[in-house]
Amino acid sequence: MTKPLLKQPWVLNSAVTVGSVLLCLLLLPGRIPGLELLGVSPHWLLIWVVAWSIKRTMWEGAIAGLVLGLLQDAMTAPHPTHTLSLIVVGVLTARLQKQRYLQEDIVSVALIVFAMAVIAETVLALQISLNQLISADSLYPSLPKIWVYHQRIALSSAILSSLWAPALYYPLNRWWDKYNTPEP
Amino acid sequence: MFALRRWWTRHALKAGMVTLAISSAWLLRATQGAALYEAYHWLTRPLQPGVSREEQFENSYILELQQRIIELENQNLALQTLESYEASLSQPGVRAAVIGRAADHWWQHVILNRGSRQGVAPGHVVTGPGGLVGRVVAVSPSTSKVLLISDPTSRVGAKVSRSRIMGVVRGQSNNRVVMEFFEKSPDVKAGDVIVTSSYSRLFPQDVPIGRIESLDLTKSPAPEATIQLSSPLPILEWVVIHPFNPLESVDEPTWPTPDDEDQPGKNSP
Repeated sequence: MTKPLLKQPWVLNSAVTVGSVLLCLLLLPGRIPGLELLGVSPHWLLIWVVAWSIKRTMWEGAIAGLVLGLLQDAMTAPHPTHTLSLIVVGVLTARLQKQRYLQEDIVSVALIVFAMAVIAETVLALQISLNQLISADSLYPSLPKIWVYHQRIALSSAILSSLWAPALYYPLNRWWDKYNTPEP
Repeated sequence: MFALRRWWTRHALKAGMVTLAISSAWLLRATQGAALYEAYHWLTRPLQPGVSREEQFENSYILELQQRIIELENQNLALQTLESYEASLSQPGVRAAVIGRAADHWWQHVILNRGSRQGVAPGHVVTGPGGLVGRVVAVSPSTSKVLLISDPTSRVGAKVSRSRIMGVVRGQSNNRVVMEFFEKSPDVKAGDVIVTSSYSRLFPQDVPIGRIESLDLTKSPAPEATIQLSSPLPILEWVVIHPFNPLESVDEPTWPTPDDEDQPGKNSP
């Protein structure tokens, strides 16, 4: 109670969390040389959602997926929505850790990000296919073309994202560990 | 009631945070991320090509072309007085640098460093070295988002310059686009130049798009041609934004646009 507002640990923690999300968002439109493969760059928001959900509950993962999905919709276009794919990623990552299939270390995080990137792109491709099937005047290309394109970007996005996952996961996880330890 | 109050005293802060996070994300989505793109613009400002480079670019490349264009325009003026022809792209445009790409792998967007403060508005047409690049779909005070013609949801009414055969150009997420012809046996051959047609509602006519690379005349329901875009979209650095009032109001530019009305068999009456 005696501490000023700015010194309160939760204020600092929120600032770090929001700041890291902002950093990820600002990295999205850039195509920094060395960070892209076949015109595809790492899916920074997905890495963030995985880093967030890995030690949290399903609900927290889903909320993070919803918020970051809305933010990515803001950066691109509202249809097809990214909220769905990131919510799926958040929930699946949170469940995965509970069952203790994987020990928590850098390599397993990279593996999780690889799988989740493929899943996220698949959810988007499913939405586009559904739109193509349902609406008669859909502007999307035919189904075979969608899925050929999906293969290409899912693979490059998964490879790049898993390689860059530790760069985001390690500092964030260290910070959240440090923040949570002294709590009674 | 007591349980509810106890839940509230324990989780008030958390619930507040979650509501705040979701509502602010929703607000950003409603404004199409204008604040984020503004932040991105200021952050990448030192990396954007500066004035000296712009001048260099203009001196070495544009001047030569401008001299040619002046000569052609003079010749053209005489013809325009004869026919009631409207020069749609004669006014000078705004030069802009490409500062970013799509924030997602499924869209083909570029982010430009000129926005509503410089008079750019959604619907304006963007050209670059080589011809047509795309259409502005969203603006913030100092950035604008362009939907490239290589995006799968983009449709451009086009014609073959030599034989005036009409068709529709669709994007394929790479530097080749597909043109569907309206006629069953069109008079086209590889190497023909493709320009935008006068039927296009979202683009001015006679802007170069590219050249026919290969033909598939047996394709059903309509014959198709693969077109190599003359504008190098993946390595674009500079473009020009031309003010243009689309004939069709575009409320949701990235969702099925009304430009495909001249596409056969789909939603034509």
